[in-house]
Amino acid sequence: MYPLAGLFVPVGAWQWGDGSTIGGAVRVSLLLTSIAMIAVVLLGTPMALYVARAPSRERIWWQAILLISVLMPPLALGILLSLAFGPHALGAFFARAGIRLTNTPLAFVVTQIYVSMGYYVLGAIAALDSVPAALEVQAGLLGLDRSQTFWRVTLPIARLGFAVALSLAWVRALTEFGAVVITAYYPAGMPVAMWTSLENFGLPAVMPLLVVFLVTSLPLPWLAHVLAQRRSARA
Amino acid sequence: MLDAHIVKKRREFTVDVSLHLASGEACGLFGVSGAGKSTILACIAGAEEPDDGRIVVDELTLFPPSLPLHLRPIGYLTQDTGLFPHLSVAENVRFGLSNGKREGSAAWVDRLRDRLDLASFWNETARTISGGQARRVALGRMLARRPRLVLLDEPFNGLDRHLVRELIVAVAEWQRELGFTLLVVDHDADVLSRLCPRVVAVEGGRVVQDGPWDALRARPATELLARLLAPL
Repeated sequence: MYPLAGLFVPVGAWQWGDGSTIGGAVRVSLLLTSIAMIAVVLLGTPMALYVARAPSRERIWWQAILLISVLMPPLALGILLSLAFGPHALGAFFARAGIRLTNTPLAFVVTQIYVSMGYYVLGAIAALDSVPAALEVQAGLLGLDRSQTFWRVTLPIARLGFAVALSLAWVRALTEFGAVVITAYYPAGMPVAMWTSLENFGLPAVMPLLVVFLVTSLPLPWLAHVLAQRRSARA
Repeated sequence: MLDAHIVKKRREFTVDVSLHLASGEACGLFGVSGAGKSTILACIAGAEEPDDGRIVVDELTLFPPSLPLHLRPIGYLTQDTGLFPHLSVAENVRFGLSNGKREGSAAWVDRLRDRLDLASFWNETARTISGGQARRVALGRMLARRPRLVLLDEPFNGLDRHLVRELIVAVAEWQRELGFTLLVVDHDADVLSRLCPRVVAVEGGRVVQDGPWDALRARPATELLARLLAPL
């Protein structure tokens, strides 16, 4: 908690401006991160299910691949994404279809998916590991197909783990700076807006944005975690 | 009816057995721990996939190819009750009944609840009940669907003697009433002989003797079997 004491250090009168910079950055971050999280859950959940139930040797390979995105330095990932989706690679193909993959909301979302997917999938795999295989066998023999078994048995038991995995992915995506500043300087989300404010106007200009950043990034994963724990305790 | 030839490689040996059970017959699989008995049951249930062979239940082919679990008319109960911890006892027992079947099965579920003495903890969460209670709930949940083939893998292990006696009587009663085919694995000859008039002895993944208990006790086919049947 000690770093929060920094909010009370005198840095001069906080400059709130007309609110459009802060409002715009918050809107970009929350909206695009939400879209990225929907994609992460839709793509990552089946991926986690597949890896969690894969033979051990295959599973090790998948986990090693997923770890790459988790362990890769954000700045390096941003540069690699810019190159991989740039005009000399896949970007040329998309450009012909009128889709730009740098400095656009799409670039922002794609970068967030890349930086957070590994956190979500690895967390979801750990959550799935906590569900005994015998329960899924019983659910099957009691007449449930795989999809019904997931919704009625696996997910309710593993929901706390899924909530934690999603929280980590959310925080990772929302607060990402190193990769996003390379691939999507525009539209500026909160981290990039904070950095430009700090560079151009100093600490008094960045402090309001910092408070808004904390208020918007922390409560959602915190609430998801607490709610999941309360439901587990009640069950 | 169960007609099965199961081949399954294990680290120590290959399980290779053929079993034929008439419809409504009760048969016990007997042998030392690690003989391959549980592997046979797991292959029939679908928890494991055989490497080769053929499994047919009442003209329904379970293998090959491997029939999805939800299409198998099987009740499978092991030492691990597999109760769903996030659901109540009542929800566990009704779990396998689809909405359409639930209304028609209400009286049947009530009978199971009363016969297995589940009423006093009917609305409690499954994770809060004792091991003995969990075993009774798992039995009720399995029978609620009226399976055509029931597989019991040491289902009474670790329970009090009087509870084991009660459960054996209950299972035998329901087998007569519902007419399911019953295949039971246990290392306790007393338990098995009370449930199943026929016994198949398994050693190292092979059937070494098949017949009534009297014949097994009078002329055990192997020395190991004789030692297993000898009083303490």
